[in-house]
Amino acid sequence: MNYKVHEVSAEEMYFFDLRGYLVIPNVLDQAEIDACNAALDAKMDEARTFDAGRLSRDSKALGGDSSRIELTGMLGWAPALRKPFRKLLVHPFVVSRLNEFSGKGFRLDHGPLLIRAKKGAEGHRFHGAGEPFDQATSYHQQNGKIYCRGITVAWQLADCNPGDGGFAIVPGSHKTVEATPEEVRTMEDDMGLVEQVPMKAGDLLFFAETATHGAVPWAADHDRRSVLYKYASRAAARSVGKRFTPQQRYGDWTHELTPEQQAVLYGPGVHHGGRLPKLDSDGETVWIEGDN
Amino acid sequence: MDKRERYFWDLTGHLVLRQVLSPNEIKAANEAYEWYAKKVVDMSQDPGQRPGRPRIENGVVVRTSNQFPHFLQMEKPYCEPFRNMMAHPQIVSRLIEMCGRGFRLDHGPEIISHVQGMEGGSMHGAGHPHKPWVAYHNNGGRHWVGGVTVSWQLADQPEGAGGFSCVPASHKSRFPMPKGVAWREDDLGAVHQPICEAGDVVLFMDGAQTHGTMPWQAEHQRRAVLIKYTGRTCARQGPAKQYGAPEDHWNEEVVADMTPEESAVMWGPYSNHRGEVPFLTVAEDGTVGIEEGRA
Repeated sequence: MNYKVHEVSAEEMYFFDLRGYLVIPNVLDQAEIDACNAALDAKMDEARTFDAGRLSRDSKALGGDSSRIELTGMLGWAPALRKPFRKLLVHPFVVSRLNEFSGKGFRLDHGPLLIRAKKGAEGHRFHGAGEPFDQATSYHQQNGKIYCRGITVAWQLADCNPGDGGFAIVPGSHKTVEATPEEVRTMEDDMGLVEQVPMKAGDLLFFAETATHGAVPWAADHDRRSVLYKYASRAAARSVGKRFTPQQRYGDWTHELTPEQQAVLYGPGVHHGGRLPKLDSDGETVWIEGDN
Repeated sequence: MDKRERYFWDLTGHLVLRQVLSPNEIKAANEAYEWYAKKVVDMSQDPGQRPGRPRIENGVVVRTSNQFPHFLQMEKPYCEPFRNMMAHPQIVSRLIEMCGRGFRLDHGPEIISHVQGMEGGSMHGAGHPHKPWVAYHNNGGRHWVGGVTVSWQLADQPEGAGGFSCVPASHKSRFPMPKGVAWREDDLGAVHQPICEAGDVVLFMDGAQTHGTMPWQAEHQRRAVLIKYTGRTCARQGPAKQYGAPEDHWNEEVVADMTPEESAVMWGPYSNHRGEVPFLTVAEDGTVGIEEGRA
C-alpha cells in the first residue's frame, strides 16, 4: 500500500473495515524512537509490574513466568520528557486516519500507556468482540463511512518479529454477532484465527477496540515496547474524567436526592473503579443493585 | 418491559406508557410548574438569565432550556414532582432495557408549554446520517439506544392537537430524509402524532428516530416535561458540555502548555451540538492544523 500522510487510501479503508486493524510502517525515524525510549527509561522506576497470571488467567497457551510492565502519565511529565509523547498525540498519520475511522472531533479517552514485556512474559487473554455488543467501543459502517467508537493507536518502539509474540488479533471479529468460543479467548484452540501482527520499531498500529485482541507470550530476547493511546469518537466515554459524581457535576444540592435519584446523575464512562451505583427495578420499586 | 413493548419499541422507535402519573401527581406537577412560571414571568432580568432560561411569549412561559436541572433544584415542595420522575420505577424498568444498566440522565428536565396557535418545528433525527452517540442497535435479541427522551404528559394531547410527532421506524432508515418530510410539506404519510392523556409518558429514541413538534392546535396549554437519558458511555449535553473543555476534564499537568492542536483532542465527551470543539486537519505536507472556523 502507498501511505499518504494527509489522507486515507481506499485500500486502507478496505483493510481496516475488513480486518479491524491497520499497520502503517516506518512512521517514526530512529531519532524519534530513541527520544521516546530515552524518556521512558528516565521514568522506568515509576513503572508497575503485574503478577504472572493476572493477564493470562488460567490459559496454558498464554501463560508465562512474568507479566507485563506498565508505565503511564507521559503527557504530564516534565516538558523535555513529555515532548515526544505529545508529538505522537496528534501525529499527522494519526489525525488523518482517526478523522476517517472515528470521525472529526475524535478525542483521547485515556493513555498513553507503555506496555513492556521481557522474554517469557505471559500473554493477555483475548478480549473484545462484536458480540456481546459494547456500546462504548462499537464498530459500525454505513453508506461508505466508518464509525469506530473506540480505537487504539499503538506506537511500536521495539521490533515485533514473527514468533516474538505481543499484540495479536482475530481479524474480522469486530463484526461478529456470535459469541467467541472460550478456547479462542484462551488461545488453547484458536481455530487458526489468531494472528500475531509482525511490526518493526517505528511502525504505527491502529485497531478497533471491539475487535477480539490480546497478547501472545513474549518470546524474543529483546523487550517488547509499545505505547498505546486510547482514542474515542466525539461523544463516547470509557474513562470518567475529573467530574463523575452527582456532587462534582451538579453541586451539593444533589445530597438532598435519594440514592436512587443520585444514581442517574453520574457522569459518562465505565472506568469508574466500582463507584457507580446501578439501578434495578421491577416496575413497582427501584433499588440499587446489591442493596436488595 | 414485556415482549409487546419490546416489539413495539424496536419496530417504531417510541413507546407510550399509559397513566403512569396519578391525578394527584399530575396536579402537583402542574401546580409546581405554574408557581415557577409566575415567578419567572414576574422577574425583571433578561429571560436568558432567569432560572430555567425560559422562553416567554406574551407573558406566558412556552418553553424552558434543557441545559439546566432547575426543576430538580427548586425549593420544596415544588421540586418534588420532578425529582419523582427522574428515577421513577416505570421509567427505570424500561431504560435498563433500552439503554442498558448504568443508563444516565444526560440533560433536562425541560418543560414545553405551547399555547394555541404556536408554530411547530422541523422534523429531526434519523438512522441516516448515523450519529453513534444516539444510534439504535439490535443484535442477539437485545437492543441498545444511545439517547432516550422521556416525555411526561401533564396535559392531554388529543388527536389533531399537535405537539410531539414522529416518523415510526425512522431509526432504521439508511437514506436521507426528504425535505418534504423534514418540513412536513409532503410528509408521505409517514409522520405520526401519538395520542396521549395527562399522566401518560412517551419514550422516544432522541436523535435516532425522526421526531419534531406539530403546531399546537388545542385551546388548553401543552404541558410536557422532557428528561433526556443516555447509555452509560454516551454523552450529549448538560454537565458533559459544561465541563467539556480540556482543563475541566483532565488534571492540570496533563494539558498544561499544550498547543491548540494537542488540546483539540483532549476535550471531554459530548456531542458538540453547537460546534465548539475544534476539528483537526492534515495538510498535504503533514502539517496538523485546526479546521477553519473552529478555532
